[in-house]
Amino acid sequence: MKTIYYLILVPMVYLAFLVFIVGTIAKLAKIFGSPKNPSSTLQIYPQKNPPWFWALMDSFLMPSVRRHKPLHWVFLMSFHIALLLLIIGHLELFKGFNVFQFIPHEIFLGKGFVGLVLSLALLFFLFRRFASPVRDLSIPEDYYLLILLFLTVLFGAQMDWARRWYGYGELSVSDYQTYLTSLLFFKPELPAAVYQSGHSFMLVLHVFFANLFIMIFPFSKIMHSFLTIPMNKLRRG
Amino acid sequence: MDEKTRDDLLKLFQSKLNQAMRFYLETCSRCGTCTEACHVYASMGQTRYISAYRHELVRRIYKKYFKGQGTAFPAWGESRELTEMALQDLSEAAYSCTGCRRCMVYCPHGIDTQMLMSIAKLLLVGAGTEPEILSMLADTSIEKGKSLEFFKESFLTGIKNLEAQVVEKWQVEAGQTPIPMDAEGADLLYVALAGAHSIIPAAAIFNAARENWTLSFFEAVNFGAFVGDPTRTKLILERIINEARRLKVKEVCICECGTAFRVMKQQSGKQPFKVSSITEVHARYLREGRIRVDKNKFKEIITYHDPCQMARNGGVIDEPRYILSQLTGNFKDMTDDVRYNWCCGGGGGLVALGEETLDFRMKSSGVKVDQVKATGAKILTTACENCHTQLSDLNDHYQMGVEVKFLSSLVADALIP
Repeated sequence: MKTIYYLILVPMVYLAFLVFIVGTIAKLAKIFGSPKNPSSTLQIYPQKNPPWFWALMDSFLMPSVRRHKPLHWVFLMSFHIALLLLIIGHLELFKGFNVFQFIPHEIFLGKGFVGLVLSLALLFFLFRRFASPVRDLSIPEDYYLLILLFLTVLFGAQMDWARRWYGYGELSVSDYQTYLTSLLFFKPELPAAVYQSGHSFMLVLHVFFANLFIMIFPFSKIMHSFLTIPMNKLRRG
Repeated sequence: MDEKTRDDLLKLFQSKLNQAMRFYLETCSRCGTCTEACHVYASMGQTRYISAYRHELVRRIYKKYFKGQGTAFPAWGESRELTEMALQDLSEAAYSCTGCRRCMVYCPHGIDTQMLMSIAKLLLVGAGTEPEILSMLADTSIEKGKSLEFFKESFLTGIKNLEAQVVEKWQVEAGQTPIPMDAEGADLLYVALAGAHSIIPAAAIFNAARENWTLSFFEAVNFGAFVGDPTRTKLILERIINEARRLKVKEVCICECGTAFRVMKQQSGKQPFKVSSITEVHARYLREGRIRVDKNKFKEIITYHDPCQMARNGGVIDEPRYILSQLTGNFKDMTDDVRYNWCCGGGGGLVALGEETLDFRMKSSGVKVDQVKATGAKILTTACENCHTQLSDLNDHYQMGVEVKFLSSLVADALIP
């Protein structure tokens, strides 16, 4: 079991990041290396200036979703904001950054609610795909990704909830920091708490599902993270 | 389908994979925000008419042949082989889409369904299963460009026969030709459609504005664009570009045809002339006081249908409204946001397919009928031939009780000295 834990927590993490980085660069190079559209514009009128500003508004605030699917928009916005906080939270698990402490908080950020919001949003996204007409539009990729993300978030959030809400103290922030920093400097070190405590299996499952997710990332629709802004720029002119 | 045919079709698919197309193929999250965007879905309620469903048909083939997952894990994205059946599905998707791009307004990523449907249309052309009528019309246009001399005399005679009707609308000065043809050094080349209704009112207005103009030998409509064949689209377009360059005009004015205007405006590249729609030109004449119109000519409520390729996709939005503000005090707009105006249901070549698509066009445009009815208008005006035909068909079918008129005809009828 220790070997499996090690394989997931160390080599698989490196493999996942390698696939993610190489895959994303290759994919973006292929897309942006393709010839430009021969038409002079693909925009929608009337134009609002400056187009880049409105393209950013479209990408980050999704006004069309707010107008046509308000409930979906609430979950989408909550999801993406929570995702941003979660990325910051993980950066802080490497080391504390003063810049993120402009609102003083304990690491991990959000008192457990970031994970809760993400979990609920993912459940909403999943369940809305069980009803027509979204069901008829959905393909296996949509379900796989949502389930994978849900499992990743659930096991990740559970570790946070355990510390925050249930007073579980065996796996501490400093254990995570030791583990993650060692990975960053290519000197992998697994503190005993990381693979021997009662909640180690949660960490291992969290990392396992996260590894899968980031390996799939460049080959999936999640590439919209990189492509939505240039696409909205095309639409805005 | 044999391997050679499939390979040839995939080469055509590959030829469409530019940067924007790859954005659109890689990104859809199938969130369903576009569900209510399509007038066909909104009118008929069938899932296959949701934009995301339509373009997923193209995307599945893309995944099969242009992405690793098509081989490694085809079930992941429901990759699909290119078969006769797949082509049939593409045909149904492409020729039930009018290319109005209303769904693009809804999509949080900005996916252009019309672009994706252009892949489907090109594959159909490659397989020889595109609508025969559209293909024949495109070929005829190209042939006319190649052998103008053969058509020239009969065309000139036909135009000569229209001159009396032009003069009836607006008296020209002695010695002035009511419909100038082939006039080198003219300021404006007017590209009309094959039909007196597209020439007579326009000619009267040009003459009233004392425009130094000339009429093109070619019709504006680009059947190459309808059938989704970039090669033929370009050939049809080049006839007009070459004529404009030969005559050294400063401006090419496209008649009331949305697709012709958008193709000319957005695909003709850098040229020594500017491209305008006739609606823009008429608005300019009115603003500059070159023509005057009688504001009391039309008593009834008038509404205006924005042709999608002119307004949402071409940016001609304020000009028709300015013209109408000069023509009547009784104008009622259909929407407060032009981006959301419903398509008439006749674009993308559907009207050109005539009776073959009539039943579908009527069923798929219920939302447009409701939109027109809600204005209480008695005159429904528009600035596109396809829209005019479709709206007239809807008027007959749904007994809307409106009079469908071209905007240019209203201007010509209201001209005052």
